[in-house]
Parts: sequence; structure tokens; C-alpha cells
Amino acid sequence: MMTKDMSADPVIRLRDVSVAFGSKRVLDSVTLDVYRGEILVLLGGSGSGKTTLLKQVLGLMKPDSGSIHINGVDITSCTPSELDAVRRQMGVAFQAAALFNSLSIEENVALPLQELTELADPTIKMMAWMKLWAVGLADSAALYPSELSGGMRKRAAVARAIAMDPEILVFDEPSAGLDPIVAAGLDNLILFLKQTLGMTILVVTHALESAFRIADRLAMLYQGHLIAVETKDQFRTDTHPRIRQFLDGTPDPIARGEHSFMASYLRAFQHEH
Amino acid sequence: MSLLEQVGRALIVWSEDIGALVLQWWAALWRLPTMLPAVGKGTRWVATLDQTLLIGVRALPMVCTMSLSIGFVLALEGAAELRRFGGLIYVVDLVTLGFLRELGALVTGVAVSGRSASAISAEVGTMVVTEEMDALRVMGLNPVEFTLAPRYLAALIAMPCLTIVSNICGIFAGYVFLAFSIEMSFRVYFREVLEAILLRDVWLTLIKSLVFATVIVQVGYLEGLRVSGGPDAVGRATTTAVVKSIFMVILTDLASTWFFYMMGWSAAG
Repeated sequence: MMTKDMSADPVIRLRDVSVAFGSKRVLDSVTLDVYRGEILVLLGGSGSGKTTLLKQVLGLMKPDSGSIHINGVDITSCTPSELDAVRRQMGVAFQAAALFNSLSIEENVALPLQELTELADPTIKMMAWMKLWAVGLADSAALYPSELSGGMRKRAAVARAIAMDPEILVFDEPSAGLDPIVAAGLDNLILFLKQTLGMTILVVTHALESAFRIADRLAMLYQGHLIAVETKDQFRTDTHPRIRQFLDGTPDPIARGEHSFMASYLRAFQHEH
Repeated sequence: MSLLEQVGRALIVWSEDIGALVLQWWAALWRLPTMLPAVGKGTRWVATLDQTLLIGVRALPMVCTMSLSIGFVLALEGAAELRRFGGLIYVVDLVTLGFLRELGALVTGVAVSGRSASAISAEVGTMVVTEEMDALRVMGLNPVEFTLAPRYLAALIAMPCLTIVSNICGIFAGYVFLAFSIEMSFRVYFREVLEAILLRDVWLTLIKSLVFATVIVQVGYLEGLRVSGGPDAVGRATTTAVVKSIFMVILTDLASTWFFYMMGWSAAG
């Protein structure tokens, strides 16, 4: 039996997770805890390894070394049926929504219920409707994914992710490709799910604004290293150069060859005028 | 890179392909019963029916046209030679046996490779790119059961049917040629055809069509699964799927014909 004491016991627990593709180390000894009932936002630029980390947590890829415990089960060494059991406690909203195009929104939400539970069809229909209502799509149940806007599609993906009443909810880039208003709406939905359903939520994103709006704690990934795991206020005032760079949005210095070319060009330009 | 090295590398790539295909086929085979109406889960057979329409019914015009053309050409070319020996009547045997033993299944295999191996790899590749495959996995649902099994069962139903249609069309084209050239009556032609056909050949051609169905669906699906990156990868996968599928249909045609012959099942022996 798992103990149900929450504050000290992390729901997701990564220890020294390392992944390499060929000679490139994508994740280097990442150790991270996500506690029950919190929203942890994992920040990182492109190529920082955050997608890889997400795939590890979802059990879609196995790390080269290290362990990942979800609710006390080590998903790096468990059997496929144990992994399926763990996955039933998790809901995932993918970046591109990943709705099944041949099914209507309602059928998409109902799919996990139909396949994984013994519930009767009317019950499933009602539960699907309730989830859609929770994300504000109750009126669009009969529509197909191709008929929805980007924001609605993401909401539908959330409805499907919470269909099985998971303890853990994972979001991959919730605000990517959405306008600021719709993105803020989605942030509110994430907060609403945490407050009303008490879910543990892991959000992977590079959108700072949204991260500060929803996060209890922030983690920052840079070139496969976890360089910070701290509260919002600590993060804002952190002096780590990479975090400052990320917060202030300063570009990387251009490569040396290019740099000297640009510099000499600029100098020449200044001399002329 | 030396020649030996290149050959070795190609062999490794090929054996990897074959290994992956066999494993995937085995996984699909186990999931087939869940697709059946009444026995299987819920309304899963609806997906199979949809796919059967796509793979089978939609391919009918193409398979018919190809078989009619090839049957006609076969009769025409054969007649030119056989006429010299006064054996024009053997055109019937040539077309009938040619189609029944070889061309019917092969023409269908090539046509379905072009239509469905590409379609399957594109659909599956798109599902990989849009993370739908990941979504299935993290829901604890088996992608093989949801995406491969219905297509495989559909192909297993559609291919033998298409092969029969192809045979009928090809043999009918032989009649059209003879009716025009020597005004042979349909009744005579039909009797000659019936005399040429052996039930054993019918069984063997149907078995061949099942083998081709397996090759086409598994190759198409595997190439789709291998898609990584963006939408341009889907296009490449589609091309690879068609090329590999046609290539492997012809190779398995050789292998199965040789196998039937060695087992003493084929009338040719």
C-alpha cells in the first residue's frame, strides 16, 4: 500500500535521470520532485531537453540511467501492465492536442472510459458531457476536431485528459500557438482544475507569462541540466545568468566568425558615415 | 567504404526491417479477434468495415482496368506465337493459368500496394507527427489494436476478393480478344476455361493474396511508425512504403511460388 500522506511524498520523483542520443547528452542527471496538489512548471528553451524529460515521465522513452517513480512505482523498471496502471492515474494534454480526427469531441473524451472501464454507455455519455462542460465545450460535443479552433481543440484535449479522473495532469506547451487571451483562458482552466479537483499538475512550457500565472514552483532546464527548482518569487529574482537571459529575453551572442564579420562590417559602416 | 562493407550494411538494414515486420505482424495477429463483430470489443468492427471499403471497394476500378488490360495483352501476344503452331485454342489456357497462378494475385498486390501501402503509411505517419500515437499509449490503449489490427483484417478480407475479381477480369479479357479475332463463342471459351482451372490453383492464389495483404499492410504501417519530425517526413515515408511494398510483394511472390512448388502443391510440378 502507498502511504497517502501528501506534503512530503512526491507524486512524481525523478532521480539522476540521464538520456543520451548518440554522443549528445540530452538530459544529464536530472533530479526533480513534484508534490501532491501543486503546479510545477518546467521551463526551458528549444533544445533544452524538456520534451525528452516529458517523454520520460510519460513512460514513452526509457532513460539510460536513473529512476522515475510515479506514485511510488518505478516506471523505468516496472512491467507493461504496471505501466498501464500508472498511466491510468495520469492525464496528458499534448501540444498539438492529439485528438483522434475520426471521432467527434464527445467520442474522443468517451474513448478512454469506453475502453478502460466497465461503465454503461449512458453513464459514459454523461461523464464525457461533464468533462466537456468543465472545460467549457458542452455545446460543441458533436463537433469534429477539424471543426474546432486551436484553443477549443486544446480544451477538448484537456477534457479527454481528465476523463478518467487522473491524479496527475501533464501539459505539453499549453499556450503554444494560441493568442494571449485564449492562452490566459487555458491558464485559468489549469488553475481551476488544480483548485477544484486537487490534481497534481506538471506543465512543460517556454511561455514565461503563463508560467508565472499558474506555477506554484518553477523548474528551469538548460542543455539537459536542471539549473533551478524554486518558487515564483525566488525565480524572479534569481541571478543565474541563464535564468536572467531567459527572463529578459536576450539572444545568445552570435557565433564568433559571424560576430567578427558583423563587427568589422559595422566598423566599416561607422567609418564611412 | 569497401564493397563488402556496403553489402554487410545493406544486409543488416534488411534483417532489421524483416525482424521488425515479423514482430509487428505477430502483434497484429493476436489482436485480430478483437476486431470481429459479436466476438470482439464493442463496435470495433465498424473501423474494419470502413477500412475494407477503403482498401477493397475503392480499389475495384483500378484492379479491373489493370487486369483487363493485362489479360488482353497476354492473349494478344500469346496468340501471335501460338497461331504459328495452330494452337490458338491454347490462348485460353495461357490466359486462365497465367492469371490464376500468377498475374491475378500479383496485379492486385501491386495495385493495392500503390493505393493502400501509401495511404496506411501516410495516415499512421500523420498520427505519429500529431502525437496521436503517444496519446493512445499514455491512455494505456494499444496502438496496434486501434490502428493496425482493423487495417490488417480489412486487407485480409479485401485482398482475396480483389484477387478473384482480377482473375475474372483477366480471363474475360482473353475472351474479348478471342471473340474479336476468331469469333469464339462465350460458351466454348467458358468450357475451355473450366477445363483449365484446377481447384488447387484457386486455393494457392487465395493463399498468395493473403500473404500479399500481410506484406502490404505491415510494410505500410511500419514505414508510417518510423516517421519522426515534421510533415515532410510523412511524404518520404509514403514513397518508401510504396517502393518497399511492391518490391516485397514481388519477392514474396517468388518465395511462395517456389515454396508451393517444392511442397508439390502446385500443378506446375
